[in-house]
Order: sequence, then structure tokens, then C-alpha cells
Amino acid sequence: MGVENQSSDEWKVGVGAYIALIFAVLFFSGLFMKVDGMAWLGALDFTTLAGKFGTMQDAKSTFVGSGGTSAKGGFLFALSLIPTVMLALGVLEIFSHYGAIRAAHKLLTPLLRPLLDIPGRTGLALITDLQSTDAGAALTKELYDEKQITKKELVIMAAWQYSGAGLINNYFAIGSALFASLTVPIIMPLVLMVVLKFVGAMFTRLVLNTLYKKDFVNA
Amino acid sequence: MHNTTPPTTNNPFDIFVIGARKGFFIATNNLLPNVLMAYVIAEILNITGAMKLIGVAFGPVMGFFGLPGEAVTVLMTTWLSCSAGVGIAVSLFAKGLLTTTHITILMPALFLMASQIQYMGRLLGVADVPKKYWPFLMLVSIINSCIGMLVMRFFV
Repeated sequence: MGVENQSSDEWKVGVGAYIALIFAVLFFSGLFMKVDGMAWLGALDFTTLAGKFGTMQDAKSTFVGSGGTSAKGGFLFALSLIPTVMLALGVLEIFSHYGAIRAAHKLLTPLLRPLLDIPGRTGLALITDLQSTDAGAALTKELYDEKQITKKELVIMAAWQYSGAGLINNYFAIGSALFASLTVPIIMPLVLMVVLKFVGAMFTRLVLNTLYKKDFVNA
Repeated sequence: MHNTTPPTTNNPFDIFVIGARKGFFIATNNLLPNVLMAYVIAEILNITGAMKLIGVAFGPVMGFFGLPGEAVTVLMTTWLSCSAGVGIAVSLFAKGLLTTTHITILMPALFLMASQIQYMGRLLGVADVPKKYWPFLMLVSIINSCIGMLVMRFFV
């Protein structure tokens, strides 16, 4: 699969894609949760739509109960996590389908040269890494094999990808187990992590340009 | 782990169901076994008293991030496997060793330094990154995690 072919057709970004991205951010932002007098906005809020388990009559705890330990405790607790994960990946699939990821790619591309000193065309490999570590790695290798990026650019890209690899999918698929325990909006740690990916890669750029300068003299 | 081929349908209901199905498979095949294992490990650490020792030993270091010493088990586990790390966090939360504040502080670190051993092969190996830089890239991830925890302290 050539990077070029993919960027021409499949990666066109229309208004709809930006709307999908904005909706995705709002959906996981928690801004629409329990807005006074506008309860209907909850229909656009992840936590509200995740709902809650009922309790047995006259009891306080859900079917998970209280005081469960070890394998049995873990099993029942894990069961209670399944609906959140299903909802998270279900809506993520919709937002991706309508181009939220493509819009993010478009917004990301102009930042790459100034922040990381890597070409804008590496954006696809980076954004792919947010969804799938393996696909991102494959696209990166392809760029290097086709001599579209230098060895130094490869290491900077790897720094961006390696810390928090597969971030969006891991966060919503696995991290959703902890969403109910967060004291901040769900979207907030995700935004911070994307920013830190850049921080780490910028630090890598700095170190490669100083400590490892000799390695890239001929590159 | 994830199927990245775009769905062939344009019906939003079908698309949701495709995603929800993925979620079910991940939750049952990945999350559930990992959470179960994490609960058992946490129980072993508790019964043997090892968790107490870890809590005391790492108390000062983790205190810097606003976390109890026991939280170091979450970080050590996520470094090997993200799902297991989340599982440990969940079980410590259930035991009352971690509060919602602690979970929130840990959240970015759980992913920024996640599954590094696995991804060494799957990412750095596949992309042909020279091995010379691997330890450095690992260090970058750990620095990222530390910054992440410090930043979260201001938001909780």
C-alpha cells in the first residue's frame, strides 16, 4: 500500500470530517454532562450514554457486589467494564468513518516541520500510529525504505510513535476501564498525551542534534 | 490487534455495531483475562505482605507525583503490558489503595510508557530504527510519563 496513493484519494478532508472531529472531542469532553436545564444534551455525552447498572432491591451495590477478591472479584468487575468499552469503540468507529481522524491528520501536518523538523508527508504514518501501532510502524518503514526520510527523521518519528503507541485505540479500548474513576473530562488526559508525544519527539530532536550529532554528519 | 480496514457499509447503525463488536472482543479477550490476572497478583502481593513493603519503599518517590508508594506497581506493570497495568490500577482502586485522584494522575503514564517491551519489536524493530537509540527512546517515554503525572497533579 503506497503512502502516495492513499493520501490522494482516501484522505481527502471535507467539512464533514472537521464536524466529525469536533463532535468526537465534544462527545468525550464531558461538557454536555448534566448541563442545568438542558438534560437533553446528555444524548451527546459519553458518560451519560454509558449509563449505570441497576442495583438489587434494597441493596446499594450493583451486581458486582462489594468485598469480592482475587480471580472471582476480578472476573465480575471486568464484566462490568464491557459495556463502556463497547460504547467507546462503537462511537469511535462512527467518528472515524466520518473522517475525524483524517481531519486531525490535516491539522497535524503543518506542525511537523517547525516542531519536529520532519517532512509533512510523515503525518499519515504518525496519525496511523494513534490507531494502530503495527500499521504506523509499517508506514514508517516504507517511508525510510523509499528514502523519503533520513535516518535522523526516522528516529524522531519513532520517538513520537513509541511513547503512547496506538494511543487512541488503547485509551478507549483499555483505558475506558478507568473512565468512571477520572476526576477530569475524559478527553483531557488524551490531549495531554498527544502534546507529550510532541514534547518527547522535540526532546529527541534536540538530543540527536547535540549528543548524537556525529552520527548524522553525512546524512 | 485491531482491524483497521474501513467498514464497507455506510449505515451509521451498522458502523456502530462493528465498533461495539470490536469492543466486546477486546473487553472479553484482552481486558477480562488481564483484569482477572491483575486481581490475583494484587491478592498475592497483599497476602504475602509484599504490597505493604512496596508501598513503604516507593512512598517517597511516588509521593513526588502525589501518589502512594503502591502506585509504582501500576507503572511497572504497564511498562510490560498496558492491559495488565490498567488491571492493576483497577484492582488497587477496588481495594481502596488508590483514589480517583490517584487514578487521574496515573492515567497519562499508563499509556505513555505502555507495553514498551512488546512495542520494541512491533514498532522499533519493524520500522528498522537503529538499536543504538532504543534505550534512549525508552527513556523518552519514561520522561514523558513523569511529565504527564506532574501535569495531572495540577488538574485533579
